[in-house]
Amino acid sequence: MDILEEKEEEEQREGEPKGLKIIILPELFLAYYLCLSASLCPGSDFDWSSIDTSQLPSSYKTNSLKEKKLLHVAEHFLRQYTHLCPDRKLLFLHPVNECGVEKFVSTTVRPTLLPYTELYHWDGCASFVSDYLTMEPLKSPITPPSSLYSPTTILKYQRGNCFDFSVLLCSMLIGAGYDAYCVHGYATREMCTLDKTLELCPLLRDPQERQVPKKGMKKSNKYRVKPPPDLQSKFELQQEAKKKAEIEAAQENKEREEEKVMEVEKCKRDPLYGLRVHAWVLVLSGKRGVPETFFINPFTGSSHSTMDEHFLGIESVWNHRNYWVNMQDCRNGCKDLAFDLGDTIRWEIMLSGSHEPLQLLPDAEEEKELPDRDMDRQEKEEEDMSFDMPPSWVAPIQITPREFETRCSQGRKVILYKKAKLEKWAPYLNGNGLVKRLTVYADWDCAEVVEVKEWFKNREDMLDRREVNKQTQLTTEYFSPGHLLGLKAHTYTSLEPETEHTMEFYSEARVDGLQKRVKNAKEMTEYFVGRDDFLHVRHIEFRKRGKKIHLAGTRTEINSQPIAVRQIKECFHRNLEKPADEDVAERIFLITDNMIHLTYHLKDKYITASKKDFYKETESDRKGNEIFMTPGMCTTYQAGSSEKDKKQLHLYKLLQELTKEEKWLKQQVQQSEAEVLNILKICENEESAVKLSVSIYNTERNEKRRQHYEAVEQDLDYLAPFLIQIGHREKVTKAQALRVRDECLTDLKHRLIDKANIIQARFEQLQKKNQWFQKNRNRLSAEEEDDFLTRYSESASHIHTIALRLNREKQTASQKYLALEEKLRKDPRLAEHLGHA
Amino acid sequence: MSQLYNSIEPNIIDDEMVQKAVEEQCPEDIEKLVKREGINFKDVTELQLSFRNILQIDNLWQFENLTKLKLDNNIIEKIEALASLVHLVWLDLSFNNIEVIEGLDTLVKLQDLSLYNNRISKIEHMDTLHELQIFSIGKNNLTTLEDVIYLRRFKNLRTLNLSGNPFCDDEQYMLFVVAHLPDLVYLDFKLVSDTTREVAVLTYQDHTKPLEHEEAQALAQLEENQAKQKELEYHKAAFVEYLNGSFLFDSMYADDTEAAKLAHLPGVGDLLQAYRKEFVSVCENLFNYGLKEYEKREAEVSDFYESLHEALTANQQEGRKIILDFENRNKRTLDEIHHASSYDIAESKQAEYKEDILQLSEALMTLEMLISDQLEEPLKEFKRNIAVIASTFIENVKGMMTQCRDLENRHHEKLLEISITTLEKSVKNELDEDLPDDVRMLLGDKTTIVNAVNASHGSRLLKIDKRESDILSNTYRWQASVTEKIFQNEIDRNRDRVKEIVQYIDNLQEELDNTEILELTK
Repeated sequence: MDILEEKEEEEQREGEPKGLKIIILPELFLAYYLCLSASLCPGSDFDWSSIDTSQLPSSYKTNSLKEKKLLHVAEHFLRQYTHLCPDRKLLFLHPVNECGVEKFVSTTVRPTLLPYTELYHWDGCASFVSDYLTMEPLKSPITPPSSLYSPTTILKYQRGNCFDFSVLLCSMLIGAGYDAYCVHGYATREMCTLDKTLELCPLLRDPQERQVPKKGMKKSNKYRVKPPPDLQSKFELQQEAKKKAEIEAAQENKEREEEKVMEVEKCKRDPLYGLRVHAWVLVLSGKRGVPETFFINPFTGSSHSTMDEHFLGIESVWNHRNYWVNMQDCRNGCKDLAFDLGDTIRWEIMLSGSHEPLQLLPDAEEEKELPDRDMDRQEKEEEDMSFDMPPSWVAPIQITPREFETRCSQGRKVILYKKAKLEKWAPYLNGNGLVKRLTVYADWDCAEVVEVKEWFKNREDMLDRREVNKQTQLTTEYFSPGHLLGLKAHTYTSLEPETEHTMEFYSEARVDGLQKRVKNAKEMTEYFVGRDDFLHVRHIEFRKRGKKIHLAGTRTEINSQPIAVRQIKECFHRNLEKPADEDVAERIFLITDNMIHLTYHLKDKYITASKKDFYKETESDRKGNEIFMTPGMCTTYQAGSSEKDKKQLHLYKLLQELTKEEKWLKQQVQQSEAEVLNILKICENEESAVKLSVSIYNTERNEKRRQHYEAVEQDLDYLAPFLIQIGHREKVTKAQALRVRDECLTDLKHRLIDKANIIQARFEQLQKKNQWFQKNRNRLSAEEEDDFLTRYSESASHIHTIALRLNREKQTASQKYLALEEKLRKDPRLAEHLGHA
Repeated sequence: MSQLYNSIEPNIIDDEMVQKAVEEQCPEDIEKLVKREGINFKDVTELQLSFRNILQIDNLWQFENLTKLKLDNNIIEKIEALASLVHLVWLDLSFNNIEVIEGLDTLVKLQDLSLYNNRISKIEHMDTLHELQIFSIGKNNLTTLEDVIYLRRFKNLRTLNLSGNPFCDDEQYMLFVVAHLPDLVYLDFKLVSDTTREVAVLTYQDHTKPLEHEEAQALAQLEENQAKQKELEYHKAAFVEYLNGSFLFDSMYADDTEAAKLAHLPGVGDLLQAYRKEFVSVCENLFNYGLKEYEKREAEVSDFYESLHEALTANQQEGRKIILDFENRNKRTLDEIHHASSYDIAESKQAEYKEDILQLSEALMTLEMLISDQLEEPLKEFKRNIAVIASTFIENVKGMMTQCRDLENRHHEKLLEISITTLEKSVKNELDEDLPDDVRMLLGDKTTIVNAVNASHGSRLLKIDKRESDILSNTYRWQASVTEKIFQNEIDRNRDRVKEIVQYIDNLQEELDNTEILELTK
């Protein structure tokens, strides 16, 4: 069959198909290439002939009368078509299905809306289809397949070619209310073979740089001061800039060229360009608020503009209602195509009367004026008018939640991109919660790893993403909100405490407003946000630790050692409540030198900041509080005021405060240090024993929860209240048993009656209200009318519901009663007395 | 007996007592320091003068920054001499012999006031204490429960002590107080429970509702007045206050008895109506023009200040950068000089540093000169523009005022005509209307009536002239003040900056010199 088609194809090459670019190739080469590509097809090992068709419903195996008629019509249409356009390829109209029965393509589309919110939108559907199915190439890349299986079969075996993908996706999209069509056409090799190795991974694309709206050009102000004369030669500057630009341009060019060479190497010119058959999905604008017509490539699930140069031509499109043949020139790919399916010149419709597509524009009159149509056809068309597309023969499409969650076959999928590899897993498949991994390579052969990005889900330690840069050996972990210590991101080379760590925090979740902490063996910098004391940076320098500690070895001992701090520097924002020269901007504690430097904020219009330097005399310091203030201990510089010697008392108080502060800060540093160690420890522990959290609503996974529910349900003893009344439960006499039974039954009866009564009461109440509304309707003002109408419709629907409930209650009440009676009879506690009754 | 006598020996607060009290409350560790340096009363924030048999408050005016003052357990009879302690937050006057609340008007920051155990019989004179949170007036002589209503004005009052007053015996006392002070949290040292509050509100609904209504009305009134006042301020700033309407016209006729008499002449009423209408419309024009010009002036001034600010900020940053560079460069220099291994090295380093300081001084001064130069032109430009704006405004105002005067002249002529015709009629006894006697008097002879009309006309012209000269003088004053202010500001700024630079350089020099001495003594 294939060979035959190939031959046909080769013969047809003389008269080039209308929509294709002319490519002249040696026939031999073509044949060779076809063999080659067929043998190279990956994943073609699945034998479709072995599938079990015996379980399929009868509609799969036979054709109904209507379907037969449809096939007849199609045959007729095809005859006319080949007569009119002898140089075009055969249409893809009625391939055989899995049972070997010819079915018209439109009836293979089975519009279905699946019960997952994700599948209500086109992107969700598309990505599901692309993930869920494994792609198989066409047997021959230049002819449409000879068979088209039902979407249910495709879903079952999770594999298919582009036509299967498109039909399934189209079914789901139409079910979700989109105006979607399957397209049979031609596309580039990358498209048809799902070769993304030339494409940049979407995850690597730079997030679109948001253009910061520049502040409107400052209005030119006549009072603007003139800049001081610039004495630099402008010419020289220009020359320099030019040179620089030239060098840069040269470099850039070089790089670009290199890149190009690489790319060209990679994609040798495709000999089958323009001939490769592909199927995809067309979504027309209009329904579901789609603003613009677009394509979806079912293999990738991504949308493309109709101008996309990867789509080279369209033969025909169809949905569940009709079939259209493209009569437009595809020499320029799909760029110039108009997708107004009602336009009968551009789109030849098969069942003309049955259903007009949404875009109703042209009309019957125009049709009659068409000069190139013979009478015969027109008559035929009119005949067809009465014919309706039969319903789909395909069974409803079903996807279980488990399947939906697992997504890819075996829960794993690998996609190769340009210099990158993307792996996907179903959640909970990996023990460490890994769901996605992107590996970026430096070269085309994917040998040298540059960067690995991993995405996690459902981790109890809230780890969201981990990025490992193989070149710098830097690991960055990102956490979702909710980590124990408010950790947001952590960058490190190793988990050893002595190496450099950068930790970012969710500052709003922390009491101290810590936003970021950078720490290495020598220094630590902490950044704060939104603190009451206006602190924003704290920088700590450590003294070199003696060898002792290193020898001491274990981490706990380091912990217990007081950390040797050399210098603490703190920066504060301006506190507007204080005057500027009393508001400290920066304070530096030189702990080893026993010095404290204070720098204050700048006063308005001043350029020098006030300063205070304290020199603590070590001896008095040791004695504790007995520091005597001597004038030599403090030097001050007060900006803008002639050395107004402040009283020593103030300085003394300030010094005391600072000394206290220093002590506290030392403690603070210790705490920070401890926290860092703590975090590292936690990270290590978590990594060694990953725990995944399971939502309590996920009954399938949450075993414990389910058991708990079931246990609760079982434990409820409906006889307990009655048995308690009797007292001793060990032995029940017959009389007691009967009493229990009667009580139990009457209780149920009462309850049922009460329930019915309540519903009845509500019903009547609502009806009364309704009557009142109707009576007073005329008296209402226009404003009240609106209000009234909404309330009226509301209450009407209420009444309806309640009436339904009442009816059902009446029906089921007796059943419930009987069921309880039966249950009581079988109850082990009462059985011996009631069993025979 | 003598002890008793001693114990009631009345005292007056004097310097000695204050000094002692201040010293007493010093913590021990800084006592020596304090003794050596002495104390500036301005720095004291708390003062306790309890149990000192003080009869009269005095000599506290120096404690400007006092926030807490205790004068309890004395025999003070009158609250006085506290007016200068405006920062006071906490004032304790309990256990004294005060009879009247007074002299607290300036203590607007007061939050906690205790007048416990005194002889006060009326709550009054506390209108300005908006911040009051805690008020204790237990064990006094309060008899009328309605006095409590006075406390409603303190929106922050949460704690109140009234226990031990005569009116506490009233069984409705508790409910009355709670009902009238709904925000109260503690009353007489006890938490006010929700149930009490509910009961109280229910019981006294009839009392509190009208009160609330009244207060709301008063508040609305106040706001309205404030809004009006604000608008008037705005008009005044535009120099056209009271020109949006007939104020000026009415004032022209306000105390003109002659004009009132003349108005009775036949036909004058209509004439006046027409005149009034035209005049008011001219006034309206003037008013609108004034507002527009005001906006223009403000825009001009703010434009100027914006650019000035921009230039100064740039300059400030530049200067700051130079200084920071210098400081970073020379952070360790002093240390190095201090610890230099040999005298020569120290010497050379010192010289280097000195040179650097000199250069810094040079750079900063150059910068200052530059900005001062740069600012000169915009300042002059601004002055010119302000002058132009002012003169156009004056010109136009003059034009409109001339319109007013023309109207007045025309009106005068017509009035004169009417008067004369009326006079002629009256002479011929053809006058139909019945006129009041004093008007008839005017119609005695020609001179009288012409004089009357002229006098009235003169007085009105005078009013117009006065209004005009008001506007003009205000404008001139504004122009002068704005211009003077910018120049003065610039001069001040320049001086301040130069002073700052000199001082900073001096400071650096001094530091260097000090280091030198240390090095040499080694």
